[in-house]
Amino acid sequence: MEEQLKIDFEKKLKDFSYSDQEKKFKETNFKEFLKQGFPNRKLENWKFSDLNQIIKNNIGELTFYNDYKKENQIDKIELIRELEHNRIIIVDGKIEKIDFKFEEKDKIEVLDEQGEETIKENINSLINLNNAFSNKFCKIIIKKNYSLKKPLVIYHSTNKNTQSKNTNSRIDFKLEENACLRIIDIFKDNSEKNFLNIYYNFELDKSSILKNYKIDKSINNNVKYSYNNVKQQANSISETFILSSGSKFFKNEINCDLLGQHSSAFVNGIFDLDDENHHEIKSNINHLVENTKSYQLVKSVLEKKSKAVYQGKIFVSSEAQKTDGYQLSNAILLSENSEFNAKPELEIYADDVKCSHGSSSGSLDENSIFYLMSRGLNYKEAKKLLINGFLLDVIEKITDEEIKNLIKDLLGVKE
Amino acid sequence: MRDKQIEDLKDYKYGFSTDIENFKAPKGLNEDVIKFISNIKKEPQWLLDWRLKAFERLKVLKEPDWQKPKYPKIDYQDLYYYSAPKSFKDKPKSLDELDPKLLETYQKLGIPLNEQKRLNGIAVDAVFDSVSVATTFKETLTKQGIIFCSISEAVQKHPELVKKYLGTVIPLTDHFFATLNSAVFTDGSFVYIPPGVRCPMELSTYFRINASDTGQFERTLIIADKGSYVSYLEGCTAPMRDENQLHAANVELIALDDAEIKYSTVQNWYPGDKDGIGGIYNFVTKRGLCKGKNSKISWTQVETGSAITWKYPSCILKGDNSIGEFYSIAITNNHQKADTGTKMIHLGKNTKSKIISKGISAGFSDMTYRGLVDISPKATNSNNFTQCDSLLMGNKCGAHTVPYIKNKNSDSNIAHEATTSKISEEQLHYCQQRGLNPEEAVGLIVNGFCKEVLQQLPMEFAVEAQKLVGISLEGSVG
Amino acid sequence: MLKINNLSAKIDNKSILQDFKLEINPGEVHAIMGPNGSGKSTLSNILSGKKGYDVTGEVLFENKDLFSLETEERAHKGIFLAFQYPLEIPGVNTNVFLKTSLNAIKKARGEKELDAIQFLKLVKEKAKELKFDEEKLGRQLNVGFSGGEKKKNEILQMSILNPKLSILDETDSGLDIDALKTVAEGVNALRKKNNSFLIITHYQRLLEYIKPDFVHVLMNGKIIKSGGPELALELEKKGYENIN
Repeated sequence: MEEQLKIDFEKKLKDFSYSDQEKKFKETNFKEFLKQGFPNRKLENWKFSDLNQIIKNNIGELTFYNDYKKENQIDKIELIRELEHNRIIIVDGKIEKIDFKFEEKDKIEVLDEQGEETIKENINSLINLNNAFSNKFCKIIIKKNYSLKKPLVIYHSTNKNTQSKNTNSRIDFKLEENACLRIIDIFKDNSEKNFLNIYYNFELDKSSILKNYKIDKSINNNVKYSYNNVKQQANSISETFILSSGSKFFKNEINCDLLGQHSSAFVNGIFDLDDENHHEIKSNINHLVENTKSYQLVKSVLEKKSKAVYQGKIFVSSEAQKTDGYQLSNAILLSENSEFNAKPELEIYADDVKCSHGSSSGSLDENSIFYLMSRGLNYKEAKKLLINGFLLDVIEKITDEEIKNLIKDLLGVKE
Repeated sequence: MRDKQIEDLKDYKYGFSTDIENFKAPKGLNEDVIKFISNIKKEPQWLLDWRLKAFERLKVLKEPDWQKPKYPKIDYQDLYYYSAPKSFKDKPKSLDELDPKLLETYQKLGIPLNEQKRLNGIAVDAVFDSVSVATTFKETLTKQGIIFCSISEAVQKHPELVKKYLGTVIPLTDHFFATLNSAVFTDGSFVYIPPGVRCPMELSTYFRINASDTGQFERTLIIADKGSYVSYLEGCTAPMRDENQLHAANVELIALDDAEIKYSTVQNWYPGDKDGIGGIYNFVTKRGLCKGKNSKISWTQVETGSAITWKYPSCILKGDNSIGEFYSIAITNNHQKADTGTKMIHLGKNTKSKIISKGISAGFSDMTYRGLVDISPKATNSNNFTQCDSLLMGNKCGAHTVPYIKNKNSDSNIAHEATTSKISEEQLHYCQQRGLNPEEAVGLIVNGFCKEVLQQLPMEFAVEAQKLVGISLEGSVG
Repeated sequence: MLKINNLSAKIDNKSILQDFKLEINPGEVHAIMGPNGSGKSTLSNILSGKKGYDVTGEVLFENKDLFSLETEERAHKGIFLAFQYPLEIPGVNTNVFLKTSLNAIKKARGEKELDAIQFLKLVKEKAKELKFDEEKLGRQLNVGFSGGEKKKNEILQMSILNPKLSILDETDSGLDIDALKTVAEGVNALRKKNNSFLIITHYQRLLEYIKPDFVHVLMNGKIIKSGGPELALELEKKGYENIN
């Protein structure tokens, strides 16, 4: 693998013109990745899965070079019809289109980014990989007091003939004071056995609101990793919802630094898994100042040989008095071969806090099934109704009505 | 220098009759030291081989570094692995020589004067010597076929039992400290309860013959044969002074069909002074195997001492319908650090486990609950309930909860709850309005917080443990 | 309508019902009274199809072998059990649940399913009759309901699903006198030529409001005495111990 990495990286530097700073940025990150390699079980965050193994079993040998000069066809990509939206289209890690057609032009700014020469915040090796191999990345700034009229849908797609490839994409966002942005991530997998690596940075200024809905619904044989790094100033709100379902493997990491008072973070998720799919959510909510709040709810419905892992961490620094942190995960195992693992972690250094977590896993409640059947439902209907009710709880946490309905339709969940 | 030591060793290799009272094995960890320990204890060849095998393994093992409390690097070549019981001339002669703080604590706990002396190794009047008390107990036990003796004695008198069970729960290859113990353990307790016997009294290290100076590498082995029951108490509530900084004990419990073992610990080793200087590192490996069907192992611990506590009394639920329980109170104050919890490994069908953990941190201390619940695919219809509560006092301390939950069986249920809170002003005010001083009030509230666990302790322990909970938190209010 | 012949039931090798016999004809109201542990709830569980019992004997419902039917098929045929302890089902809206049930039964019977408007009209009407708080219909099934509300909800379900044989398992327990009256009114409103009831109860209290045609005393898994409504009063006076 190392051989391939080096060849692909050299080729990349040769084929594309980078500024000195960019080059430096990519080289530093590349070295760091070579040093660390793909994460394995020895890392606490990867305790329940070994990405090396997952790549080996599902992809085989990866290649890392992408031709960013090539124009990818985007008109074949099926867009969401249910709601009007702005869009960004990414194909094989390359941003092909940025279109804010519903918005006032002077309220949104798109800047090319160079990357820092040194690694300021060494998050993990996959971020290094992303920085080394992604194309030029940009920063999208939402101006003060501006709320986008329509949501932004980011389509992540692959070319039909792309295979056994690692694709990397990165976008940085800045929400100025009192700005508001809704993002929906949608996956359009046109090919198999690729490793998609997605990295978002969010800077949330005072009183801004970010809502990010990640929807991985359609069945595909790709391996995916996504990292959201959210920095929140006073009174800002971030809401993340993850529907984790279709991919072979998907790990979503959410890191929220609550840096300003009265900021809050919400992370909600559904694992709806079948076959041998293995999905994870890893959250780090860092309460760093007084009066911040976080809430996390993750529900899992696991069929066949699927496996879900939820590692949710609440960190409270000694300054962060009056923190309110809550975390709950419930899982229903529907098959004797399915598996649910959780590591709900609390690390607390302040005493005037209200933090709790809970986790439960088990089978569908037979008594509830019996109750429903005695009212005339057959087993299948009873099971569906119960699962429906079980999941509804999380979906109700979605604060955006339009998107809530979209997700309900996708899951076939009724009220 | 090293050659000289080996030279010395050779001299003693065949000289058992030497007055061992003043003797220490030379510093350092090597095969010769292990052979020396084995020799001096007149161990059979198989046990020496076993120790050497552990030592071989040790060479490739690394000290674990994933636990939260970090400690200065230990130089294993700079430790004594065997020191014979001290002669009285090295020990304090009267209580006047002791730290007045320690005496004050004894007073508060209501520890009798002679007991205070015994705890500090001061020669005690023969009448009060617990050894004589122990002898009477021993007769009662022998009548029922119960074996309760030091593990060294058991090696000599019941080698078949020791050989059959030693290392079956904590294998030689386990982890660094456990393996270190296997290579160099000095002494400890051995208990065997024959089939169908209900041990008529709480067995305790307290009454153990030759109880003193079992050393830093203690080894305990308890076997409850079919249908038997035993309750075992380890430690005592009074602070224990000890010369050795590192303690790496191994405790193995084995419960056969329908047997039950209840193991209670009160750990109150020297925690170091207010500034965190000194204090003991308690790195103990405790593990129970519910080998037979319908067997049960229950761990109860009150951990208030040591500078660093690092232990996870665990249950391997192998037999169908077996039950594992873990009740824990851990209190850290000043600069103490604790990383403690349990592992419940469900292998058999219909196995049940319950974890109740109460952590209290005050001062500059740091406390972590770390636990694993693992229900394997074959452990049908099993369940676990976990409740971990943490209480923080002040914002210079930390309280952490790190549970690992693995459910691989759809017929099994796991429920986990955890909370972190502080003592509310209202509660304190209410108690103070009724006439309690702040420390009493905190003691009362904390005891309430710990009630579920305190209830699990044997009667004679419970009252003292309650007092201990209050005392451990002294100086943390205000 | 219902014919039980020599029904015996065991759970974990413990015998609960022994050679139990009972026949209920269309339009009849039967009450089964018995002390705790006499097998009352086992009977209702077995009739509704709960698994886990070792059963021998025969139960015919409208001349069809009941044991060959799944729980939901029994419901389709018109057997309704008002549970002693109605379950809380988080996340499942009461209205959604009722509508799904009703339409499943209608579908099985080859009747036309109700649309949302028809259903809401029906459910509102019934809720009003039973003095059931309409607002609760929009909430999760039985979650946060008081004991009385849960029991009323069972009767509401009964009146909407309109069964042929209703089994009321200690529906009176935990009800205050007003709720008891409302429940009884609900039951009496359903009493028709073709509808039968099996009322399982510990006390005679409910039977003051729902007059039974027959009263049976169940002790140790067997009916030890049968009679008319007067038997319930006798039982109240003498107690179970002295009834024979």
